[in-house]
Amino acid sequence: MQAFDCAIVGAGPAGMSAAIELAQAGADVVVLDRADRAGGQIYRSAADSPLPDAASLGPDYAAGADLISRFEDSGAKHLAGADAWHLGDDGRILFSYQGETRELHSREMLLCPGAMERPMPIPGWTLPGVMTAGAAQVMLKSDAVVADGAVFAGSGPLLYLIVAQYLRLGVPVAALVETTPRQHYLDAAPLMPRALRQLGQLRKGLSLLREIRASGVSIYRHAENLEVLGDENAKGLRFVASGKQYEVAADTVFLHHGVQPNLNMTRAMGLAHHWNSAQMCWQVTVDAFGESSVAHVSVAGDGAGIVGADGACAAGRVAAQNISHRLGRISRAERDNKTKSDLAYLSALKPFRRFIDCLYRPTDALSSPRQANTLVCRCEEQSMGDLRTGFEQGARDPNALKSLTRCGMGPCQGRQCGHLVTGLLAQWREESPEAVGYYRLRSPQRLLTLDELGRYETVTAEAAE
Amino acid sequence: MFRSLQDDDRDLVTLNVNGQMVTARKGQSVWSAMAVAGQVETRKAALSGEARSAYCAMGVCFECMVNIDGLPNQQACLRRVADGMKVLTQDISEDTEADDAGL
Repeated sequence: MQAFDCAIVGAGPAGMSAAIELAQAGADVVVLDRADRAGGQIYRSAADSPLPDAASLGPDYAAGADLISRFEDSGAKHLAGADAWHLGDDGRILFSYQGETRELHSREMLLCPGAMERPMPIPGWTLPGVMTAGAAQVMLKSDAVVADGAVFAGSGPLLYLIVAQYLRLGVPVAALVETTPRQHYLDAAPLMPRALRQLGQLRKGLSLLREIRASGVSIYRHAENLEVLGDENAKGLRFVASGKQYEVAADTVFLHHGVQPNLNMTRAMGLAHHWNSAQMCWQVTVDAFGESSVAHVSVAGDGAGIVGADGACAAGRVAAQNISHRLGRISRAERDNKTKSDLAYLSALKPFRRFIDCLYRPTDALSSPRQANTLVCRCEEQSMGDLRTGFEQGARDPNALKSLTRCGMGPCQGRQCGHLVTGLLAQWREESPEAVGYYRLRSPQRLLTLDELGRYETVTAEAAE
Repeated sequence: MFRSLQDDDRDLVTLNVNGQMVTARKGQSVWSAMAVAGQVETRKAALSGEARSAYCAMGVCFECMVNIDGLPNQQACLRRVADGMKVLTQDISEDTEADDAGL
């Protein structure tokens, strides 16, 4: 069976950047991505925007189109619409492709699963009409669909970006309910001078905030006690700001308080993970070149710890050079030489990232439910109270709690509740998240029909093209 | 209320969402076509029967699972519209039986 030199899973900034380098080095590289077009979440539809005026999304988004076209011209084999659901440390990948099952083999694997938004379990977060800010971005970018008169609530750059994009497009926004506590500004202030070295990044953030303020949209700052109103559908948001309670009516509420690595792929492979206390999330353990605890499996981009799109491109290129070296295509010295500037860039990004992580770190009040009846596991409808009962019955780690209550056992396989459950158990046990651990995950990583499993074929790398 | 910013009528397809005829653009996600049509309820929660809707729109929350052309558990945010497609709010609970075809 003809194996690929390298299989890359995910065609976002990291995966595309890595594929370009590997193809250039002459490696047989295949890229599996669930979407119809490359780009990942951040550059979704950047090359074929349905928007009448895509420039309103900003220059960073437009830059994605260039990366996508370089990737498409790179010679890397791109399997669009390939949804990987089993990754073996033997190099075997099983995936869904056009309603059928496919298998391929690779000597090296590079996982670029990207980020997902941190769940925000405020009361009412399961009501129809409550979505994430990322969801607003997805709908805008891929389908040119917007929600009129929505409330945006939470904190962090992605939230401000989508509000600014809505305003540029003339979409009415009911309010921006900003939750960054005063204390975070004080905590982050000492980190500011070093972050200034990434002045461009900092300026971008500040100009977004200025743009929003200048628009005249209602802004509430340091908001607390957020609660979605409504019985069957979202009707608005209630919160407290400056000691006063407010209610803003809206049938769409977009929530956001940061992103975290999309863990399921790296977890299901059984790679080593650790708790990142600055970003308050689990992340896969990799070395400077992206090598995981299984040497022929590398991870790059936000999926290996949040670095942002530019950082992900650099990390993808670094991982690709290391894989080239592992494949015997370049020497160690060549690898070191070719990765020098990207590694320097990645380390220069760190002070800026530390500043952002500190300023917008998730608050306990938004990371963990406050009310016993708030659902933690949306799929199996387990509330915080249900989980507490399970804990008191002796289920002290995520897997025991899963066996007892079914939390994390539904179709999302813990993607939403995983971090919440680690966090709650850590509080209740008064121990670190690291000591508590995470769900044990297995393949398949998506729902499959027997019908689909029955249609099975192997994809091989063509020998000498 | 959701709406589309596209103002021309190129590449349109028609699908049926819970009996309502919905026009959408070729390539559009089933979820956003439903949203623009005001059909935001994607599924009933399996235990309580409460209405649920898309939360992440990028395939990680699995809240937007609908029945498409008789096949249950289809993530509306990941599936693309097609002419003549039949979409139903998914209602699979302990009291109802799922269509054998998909399970």
